[in-house]
Amino acid sequence: MARVHKFRISSTRSNDLVCRSMAAAEAKGTMMRRAGHYCGRFLELDGRMLRNFGTCSYLGLDQHPELRQAAIAAVEEYGTQFSISRAYLECALYQGLENNLEKMTGQPTLVAPSTTLAHMAALPVLVRDNDAVVIDQFAHASLHAATELLRDVPVHLVRHSRLDQIDELLQKLSICYERIWLVVDGLYSMFGDFAPFEGLGALLDRWPQLHLYVDDAHATGWLGTHGRGGALMQLGQHNLHQHKRVVVALSLNKSFAAAGGALALPDAELKVRIRRCGGPMLFSGPIQPPMLGAAVASSKLHLRAEHSATQAQLMQRIDYALAAAAQAGLPLATHHRTPVFFIPCDSVDEATNEVQWLINEGFYVCPSAFPAVPVNRPGVRFTITLHNELEDIDALIEAARARGHTCGACPNVEATKWGLIPSKA
Amino acid sequence: MNRADALDKTLRQMYAVISFPEGGEPDWEGMKAVFHPQAQLTRVTPEGIDHFDLQSFQAMATEMLDRGVYTAFFEQEIARREHTFGSLAHVLSAYETKRSPEAASCLARGVNSIQLLWEGASWRVLSLLWDEAMPGNPFDLKQLFAAEVSCG
Ligand SMILES: Cc1ncc(COP(=O)(O)O)c(C=O)c1O
Repeated sequence: MARVHKFRISSTRSNDLVCRSMAAAEAKGTMMRRAGHYCGRFLELDGRMLRNFGTCSYLGLDQHPELRQAAIAAVEEYGTQFSISRAYLECALYQGLENNLEKMTGQPTLVAPSTTLAHMAALPVLVRDNDAVVIDQFAHASLHAATELLRDVPVHLVRHSRLDQIDELLQKLSICYERIWLVVDGLYSMFGDFAPFEGLGALLDRWPQLHLYVDDAHATGWLGTHGRGGALMQLGQHNLHQHKRVVVALSLNKSFAAAGGALALPDAELKVRIRRCGGPMLFSGPIQPPMLGAAVASSKLHLRAEHSATQAQLMQRIDYALAAAAQAGLPLATHHRTPVFFIPCDSVDEATNEVQWLINEGFYVCPSAFPAVPVNRPGVRFTITLHNELEDIDALIEAARARGHTCGACPNVEATKWGLIPSKA
Repeated sequence: MNRADALDKTLRQMYAVISFPEGGEPDWEGMKAVFHPQAQLTRVTPEGIDHFDLQSFQAMATEMLDRGVYTAFFEQEIARREHTFGSLAHVLSAYETKRSPEAASCLARGVNSIQLLWEGASWRVLSLLWDEAMPGNPFDLKQLFAAEVSCG
């Protein structure tokens, strides 16, 4: 009888499994749905208008008149597509966008066609032959995909946000490798927890070989000065400019409400190098003119003094939802002050039933199951945005409470004590 | 300890060593005590059938843990039927896997088919073969155990 001595989950096998769980969710009507009308606060599903608790447009800018107008103006000027590789010729709007993003981040910043393509362009250029990579097991799939492109470089997985394990690995790897790249998300998009920035900052101070690559897609825009995100905000205290060991990927697709991704880099030389030889920077198409127009308009909003008041409004809503959930006794996977909320469920069936119930009650929320989360941590994910009025939040929490959500709180992702985590929600 | 009690002890240990709380992992040393060094572990899934020895099972489980496929695992026995003869035992053992021991509903259910060998003082698992309940493979305890159901 054939025996497997060295196990490696093949991609076919893994796809078969993912396909099976997606098919089950589709059969229950909770995945692969199609919306009708959409206006930010509401979306149409099966002919009914639902309150929208599913979008990552955290500041509600996707409906902003200035972004809409800028997209229309860019179409009028350039048409729908500028179909030339940016390596040859870029649309004029790129320059204004990159200039504004550099003001936002305070760093040399390179725009990419998407966050995924930003990772694929940057990581193979940043990581050199004598480097090693350590990646958080819950880092976004796009980061895992990008590390697959690294040839002849060891890639180590670490358990989620386990600083002790990272430190242990650094002790071993620092003997043999010039640099060790730690790859993490700034804000984990399923359970809504931040990377342990304080601890990561301490590791940067302690290990000169350590370099950080942070995907801050979910914290771009709504957090930090001009929306530079949580990573640049938190790690900025650790001599970011001096040691030049932190690269942050941003998203222009979520709170920013336009299209594309961006890389905030420690120096201008790296920007040029990734632009010159980062695969998708040469071989992928550019962001289309209307969305470049929207991105420029969004970047202008982020640079205005009023932007911090808009961010504060969202933070108030997040706090409101956290307090309402605590009062209703609704268990949450984490209590970090982020717009991502996750109600743990005992089983995929329970999560699906809960989502179906909430949809019937008039709320759009998302079921979460493997492979988006571990098999043992299914649940219901919802987001709080400036599209949601306080009465919408009250109604959602009340509906979840009325359903009598019975499961106990999931073992909490370890909460660090820095400013964004309330003492006890 | 008589053989019946020893069998119960080994089966309870088997469920204990494969279970682990958030952030942990199976008790690999404990597994070596419960499973015979020649033990085979066979997993049936709709995607295929896997054959492991203890070493390759640990490699597979470690990869799943590293990739975050599971971050905790609790498997509990819910019904059992035993047949013994001399130094051999065969146990049909229905199980539930749960998010936590307190969870009200389970993540999955299935059946373990376990062969054990009497080694003079204790039983050790020689083969563990399992299959999980699915829409096309419904879980019916009454039918599975006919009149011999013993739940606990
Ligand atoms: C953390 C994170 N990174 C990257 C991406 C992919 O972004 P993009 O669509 O811009 O490639 C996502 C998408 O949702 C994400 O959540």
